[in-house]
Amino acid sequence: MTAQSNHIPSESDLIKGCIDADPQMQRLLYDRFSSMMYAVCLRYSENTEDANDVLQEGFIKVYKSLHKFRAEGSFEGWIRRIFINTSIEHYRKKVKLYHVTEVQENTIEDDSLDALDSLAAKDIMNIINELSPGYKQVFNMHVIEGYSHKEIADMLGITEGTSKSQLARAKGVLKKIIETRVENSKKSR
Amino acid sequence: MQDFKNKLYNYETPPPEETWDHIAEELQNEKVINLHTHKKSKFLFYGATAAASVVIIFVGSLFFKKNKESKSTANIVSTHELLAEKIKDSINLNQKILESIIHNPQEKKEIISKNPTQNTSKKYLTVANPEGQPVKISPKVATLIISADNEFPPRPVWNKKINKWQKIMLASTISPTSVNFIDLIQLAANSENIE
Repeated sequence: MTAQSNHIPSESDLIKGCIDADPQMQRLLYDRFSSMMYAVCLRYSENTEDANDVLQEGFIKVYKSLHKFRAEGSFEGWIRRIFINTSIEHYRKKVKLYHVTEVQENTIEDDSLDALDSLAAKDIMNIINELSPGYKQVFNMHVIEGYSHKEIADMLGITEGTSKSQLARAKGVLKKIIETRVENSKKSR
Repeated sequence: MQDFKNKLYNYETPPPEETWDHIAEELQNEKVINLHTHKKSKFLFYGATAAASVVIIFVGSLFFKKNKESKSTANIVSTHELLAEKIKDSINLNQKILESIIHNPQEKKEIISKNPTQNTSKKYLTVANPEGQPVKISPKVATLIISADNEFPPRPVWNKKINKWQKIMLASTISPTSVNFIDLIQLAANSENIE
């Protein structure tokens, strides 16, 4: 049951091996989840350098916290949550969240974001990364990860109203970015 | 449709190659720290703390015990000394009172009044019993105490008293009978005269 033997260990074997600090199992766990979690880190970080730091920090946390995993949910979901929290912590260390005034949630329909559907994931990532860090966090957490505003408020240490406001503004900015891109593509034709 | 959500959620991109090297290095450092330095230092720290606590408690208990013992010993010694002095003073004073009662009963009041502070508590005389324990007795029976003391033989004292009573009773007009105390005294006096 080693990396060299090409045998794919089960999730529980991976977890047990990592708890026992088996280097081969640690490497296998990294290989299995690193690409997925790196994408998460890129979505939440301002730049690739920060994403690399968060990825490294996140995996260390995963290895250290594996004994706490109770298998009550999916293992991937548990790891993803660690990386999201690590991204938030990393961001908090660098910048304080923008203090925005609470406003009524902008009624920007999600339909306005349908234009994103036609784009490749990498292009969508590039557009999302144009958002400011505060907007990007709330947008990712609510739209992509599916957290409620209450959960976001708890995790980010903000009010639900602030979370809603940030999301509305993020959608507004995204809409403008998409419109600009569409206009530019029309012009280029 | 909002397919972009799923696209982003499932999006994967390989991280830089060197990332694993950094993680592996950090894990190795953690391991070394955990197995050798960290655990050892923790163990040493807790051990040293426990040992220091035990030593402090032991020394503290010894110190307090010694202190307590010395205090209690000092207290006992001082109490004994004080008691001995009091008994000695009391016996000396009693001795004077007893002598005065025997030789000159009129001086009794004067001797007692010379030491008013002791006098108030001298409703009783404090004397030492054969075991050395203080015993309080009434001054009225002081002569009986003297009778137990070889320095003042009781017989002359009692003889004097009895002679005095004899003279008083013989001088009385009551006729002696064999059933009363006076007759007995007279008989005793007659027998002495015969001897």
